[in-house]
Amino acid sequence: MNEELDSQLSAMFDDELLPAECELLARRLSRDEYLKARWGRYAIVGAVIRAERGVRLNAPLAGRVNAVLLAEPALAAHTAPRDRSRAPLRWWRPLAGAAVAAGVATVSILWLRTQAPLPGAPLVTQLAAPGQTTLPTAGQGDSYVVPRPRPAAVMVPSTELANYVVAHSVFSSPVARRNLLSAFMTSESATAGTEEPQSDVKAIAQ
Amino acid sequence: MSADASDLSLVRRVQRGDKGAFDALVLKYQHKLVKLVMRYVRNPAEAEDIAQEAFIKAYRALPQFRGDSAFYTWLYRIAINTAKNAVVSRDRSPVEYDLDRNNNDESYDMQGRMKDSETPEGLVLTDEIRSTVNAAIDALPEDLRTAIVLRELEGLSYEEIAAAMDCPVGTVRSRIFRAREAIDRRLREVFEGGLGRAEELG
Repeated sequence: MNEELDSQLSAMFDDELLPAECELLARRLSRDEYLKARWGRYAIVGAVIRAERGVRLNAPLAGRVNAVLLAEPALAAHTAPRDRSRAPLRWWRPLAGAAVAAGVATVSILWLRTQAPLPGAPLVTQLAAPGQTTLPTAGQGDSYVVPRPRPAAVMVPSTELANYVVAHSVFSSPVARRNLLSAFMTSESATAGTEEPQSDVKAIAQ
Repeated sequence: MSADASDLSLVRRVQRGDKGAFDALVLKYQHKLVKLVMRYVRNPAEAEDIAQEAFIKAYRALPQFRGDSAFYTWLYRIAINTAKNAVVSRDRSPVEYDLDRNNNDESYDMQGRMKDSETPEGLVLTDEIRSTVNAAIDALPEDLRTAIVLRELEGLSYEEIAAAMDCPVGTVRSRIFRAREAIDRRLREVFEGGLGRAEELG
């Protein structure tokens, strides 16, 4: 037998062989009974040097294990179904991502709808609404208005947001898209009806 | 050089369905595993049964082995657990020879020895293997003997042996190989003779 091969076997037994060489030799070792017998004797030499008491050096253990494993299916048969089950997962991954994105978009839109004003409600707080306290100043046209505490800030979906949604409408469902746009249109029309020019506000204050 | 590359290459082959590679792993670790299990059970035959069970469990669990730890460390844990379970289940089951043990320790010892000597030729062969290997080691040149003993007894790596013996790693590899070759030559003679003798004894 090739001395270099035996030398490699000895080094492999000690975990001192390069991984690439190990791969090649492992393949040969698993099939070559001569190498396997030598490999087994290397183990015996080690056991004797370590004086492993109680160990039967000619124990038929390896043969018994081998006989039991003959009835076992090869491990590749176990691992194959797992690989097959992974394939559909890979296929569904982009779809699952899209579904998550759509869900997030829907939640965002619903949240925006809850923040949109009710029909008929003023969108912009009047700066000098009736009942507000005006502080008179002596002989000056300037005046200061102290606004009453407002119940809650009113948020209007911005045009930029609407443009963004329209531009990315391919990723959202038609229903969600329609909801957002209708909310935006409602808010725009409401804002147009209630906004007052700044000059009018000044006039009221004076 | 990655540690455990040798075992890992065999493990990967087993995971791909090569049972012969697992045979190589059993051959490599059977003695260590039996010795380990004998910390829990005194009887060598029982230790071998437990070691066999541990190997089979390891084979079945190999698809889950990812190589995060060394293969032997993993196998070691399986063997320890198997041995502990075996001891527990043995203690739970009624032991027929307990009375004998209490009444007569000698008879208990004999039972243990009888299990050992199920194959008398096996014991003879084991003793002969031991004496042959020891004689072969004694006959080795000093540098070969030191290298193989540092490797097998102290568990040093080739690099550590090279540092200890003040020589290149390649020389260590060659010395260990030549030592094994010399011992193996004698061992083969014993195995061939031993098998013949076993038939005579049988």
